[in-house]
Amino acid sequence: MPDFKSPIAHGPVSAPDGVVRVEDETATAKIVVRAGSDSSAAADLSVPFGQSRLRADGTLVCGTRPDEWTLFAAVDRAAEVAASVDTEGFVSVVDITHGRAMMRVSGPKATAVLAKVCNIDLADDMTPDGAVFSGSVANVTCDLLRSDRAGDPSYLISCERSFGNYLFAALVDASTEFGAGLPAGLSIH
Amino acid sequence: MIVVNCPNCGPRNSSDLRPCGELTPRPDPSTASLSEWRTYLYLRENPAGWVTETWYCRNGCRRYFTIQRNTATNEIRDSEAP
Repeated sequence: MPDFKSPIAHGPVSAPDGVVRVEDETATAKIVVRAGSDSSAAADLSVPFGQSRLRADGTLVCGTRPDEWTLFAAVDRAAEVAASVDTEGFVSVVDITHGRAMMRVSGPKATAVLAKVCNIDLADDMTPDGAVFSGSVANVTCDLLRSDRAGDPSYLISCERSFGNYLFAALVDASTEFGAGLPAGLSIH
Repeated sequence: MIVVNCPNCGPRNSSDLRPCGELTPRPDPSTASLSEWRTYLYLRENPAGWVTETWYCRNGCRRYFTIQRNTATNEIRDSEAP
């Protein structure tokens, strides 16, 4: 596997009281599976569009679009996870690990931060823990997954790799209202 | 803001979608006259009232779907996958 290099040049940024934290999670294996509804791959993944499920082997399966799934796992498992999908029938499996940036916004104020730059309804009844959805975040088309941690809201956001540094800066900029500091050299302008 | 109901993603701001214009039946290329083909490519009814349109959910499910939209009031009904 090629050496992994994140497009995001900064480490985690947190508010002093911990109400929000923005961190780079690009170093995650990301496998996109497109499969016809009558294929065995679709039956095996079996996660409906808009939902997610953590498999026993630690792979997170997300129903990102109709007949399309994204699989997240530890970065060194990319080839193993891709090979685990049954490609019999109308199925494509693509490793996009290096093509997408991914970051996590978490903490009690994570929803308030994300709501500033995303027009999706983030209320608990519309996007509960485990919800998978796509939309515009700071004018970047992103795939989002709500994956709560320790009872606090947490969102995994992935976008095209080239937008990663900008999106990270935009999320940190949105967090400054809640006390996070914008590190030197990080700017959305 | 216009709220468009995507059949997969639910209600979305129209800025998340791309309008693709009136739904026009495609003539058979092997039998259509030049006039019929030009009409299909370039001419639209553009009524002040109800029209069937195709939209593309570019920020969400990336699927095309059709809606009925009143161009005078922006009232929208009956979204469905084509």
